[in-house]
Amino acid sequence: MGYDPANPMADRITDIGPPHYEQFFPPVVKNNYGKWLYHEILQPGVLMHKAENGDECYTVRIGAARLISIELIREMCDVADIHCDGYLRWTTRNNVEFMVDSKAKVQPLLDDLKSRGNRMPVGGTGASVSNCVHTQGWVHCHTPATDASGVVKAVMDELFDYFTSHKLPAQVRLALACCLNMCGAVHASDIAILGVHRKPPMIDHDAITGLCELPLAISACPLGAVKPATAKNSAGEDVKSVKVNAERCMFCGNCYTMCPAMPLADPDGDGIAILVGGKVSNSRTMPSFSKLVIPFLPNTPPRWPETVAAVKNILETYANDARKYERVGEWAARIGWEKFFEKTGIPFTIKSIDDYRLAYDTWRTTTQFKFTSHIK
Amino acid sequence: MPTIEHNGSSFTVDEDGFLTGNMDAWNETWVDYVKTVEGITEMTDEHHKVIEILRDYYKKNGIAPMVRILSKTTGFPLKRIYELFPSGPGKGACKMAGLPKPTGCV
Repeated sequence: MGYDPANPMADRITDIGPPHYEQFFPPVVKNNYGKWLYHEILQPGVLMHKAENGDECYTVRIGAARLISIELIREMCDVADIHCDGYLRWTTRNNVEFMVDSKAKVQPLLDDLKSRGNRMPVGGTGASVSNCVHTQGWVHCHTPATDASGVVKAVMDELFDYFTSHKLPAQVRLALACCLNMCGAVHASDIAILGVHRKPPMIDHDAITGLCELPLAISACPLGAVKPATAKNSAGEDVKSVKVNAERCMFCGNCYTMCPAMPLADPDGDGIAILVGGKVSNSRTMPSFSKLVIPFLPNTPPRWPETVAAVKNILETYANDARKYERVGEWAARIGWEKFFEKTGIPFTIKSIDDYRLAYDTWRTTTQFKFTSHIK
Repeated sequence: MPTIEHNGSSFTVDEDGFLTGNMDAWNETWVDYVKTVEGITEMTDEHHKVIEILRDYYKKNGIAPMVRILSKTTGFPLKRIYELFPSGPGKGACKMAGLPKPTGCV
């Protein structure tokens, strides 16, 4: 029966969870589950997994925009129907993978993907720049300081060669978050793009009393800059409100998340910060957080040329200088961050010096450093 | 801001149907109206107990109670609260009690 608004609990199905993943395994994966011997990357975007019994599974990875229409999903389903018996999967970076069980089926699949224009570019394996993990931006969120899809498209257009090739020292993970909620992977990515504000919130004294739970807005502030206060609304009446100490505010926007009457988005103030050097794997070195290297780049839709140039500069400097297997953060740690700034030509600013609570540990407590000369 | 007319009273609400004024805009007519949109067939003493505790807590503390505090003070486990308010303590009970719309990453 269809949903009956007058009786919403009738025939209601709930708590059934996602369908079990095994239902959607291609036969070659189901038969060899837990019995894989080794894998090879045959070419950028194409993997081969060998099973104990000699079975082979060929995987073709394509880039996807993450925000996609049902038409595109149906087109991907068509590809899966034609070549893969109707099976496909999405990766944790929102690429799409088509799997076939014999080498003879790989080339027709690649040819088909190529014939579909640039909607399904093959790549993203090995020492490449795979897909950029990103967020909602101006498409759907209410707290962003920049856009997500637009910036990602501009950056990936410029780095497209690195998606379809293996010419980097190691994989480079890109991530974008449109505010410092950092939904996604910004805090632990090789190169991260982060939307930031530069102005304190405006307070709507007319609406704040009815709209906000004031103690939540006050406790949302990491710096104690928000305090309860009595304010005058536009009708001249005293209302319960808050006041923001602008000297203490670092424009994180947490109070706006909790209280809709404290908006802070600003077209000139908002922009992008670049962080580098994070990773999540345990290979060679421990996982690490990304560090801020460029405090602000303006929002310049639709192509964000400053951000694109900054990301490309960091990536290419790293590609030219790092050793094999070295991630961006490992490279920067080996040569020293002062050398990172010198080689990339990024001006070091006071904004990169940590001043939040546990900041002391990030300062240099040694005489070991290299003389660098790039700061004029 | 849209307004809602119900049984001769008028309420200013946001797009999700939460009262936007301060706590004074709330009255029994509002409870009766929310009942019709939240899939509640009959108001029981238990419903009124939850609403009363939410309103008391809000007036005293300026925030809606944590779910665990609501359970502890009413004596209703979360499951029972969902039986009373199918949309849950936030969208259902807080809306009916005239509290501000829950915020944050929900």
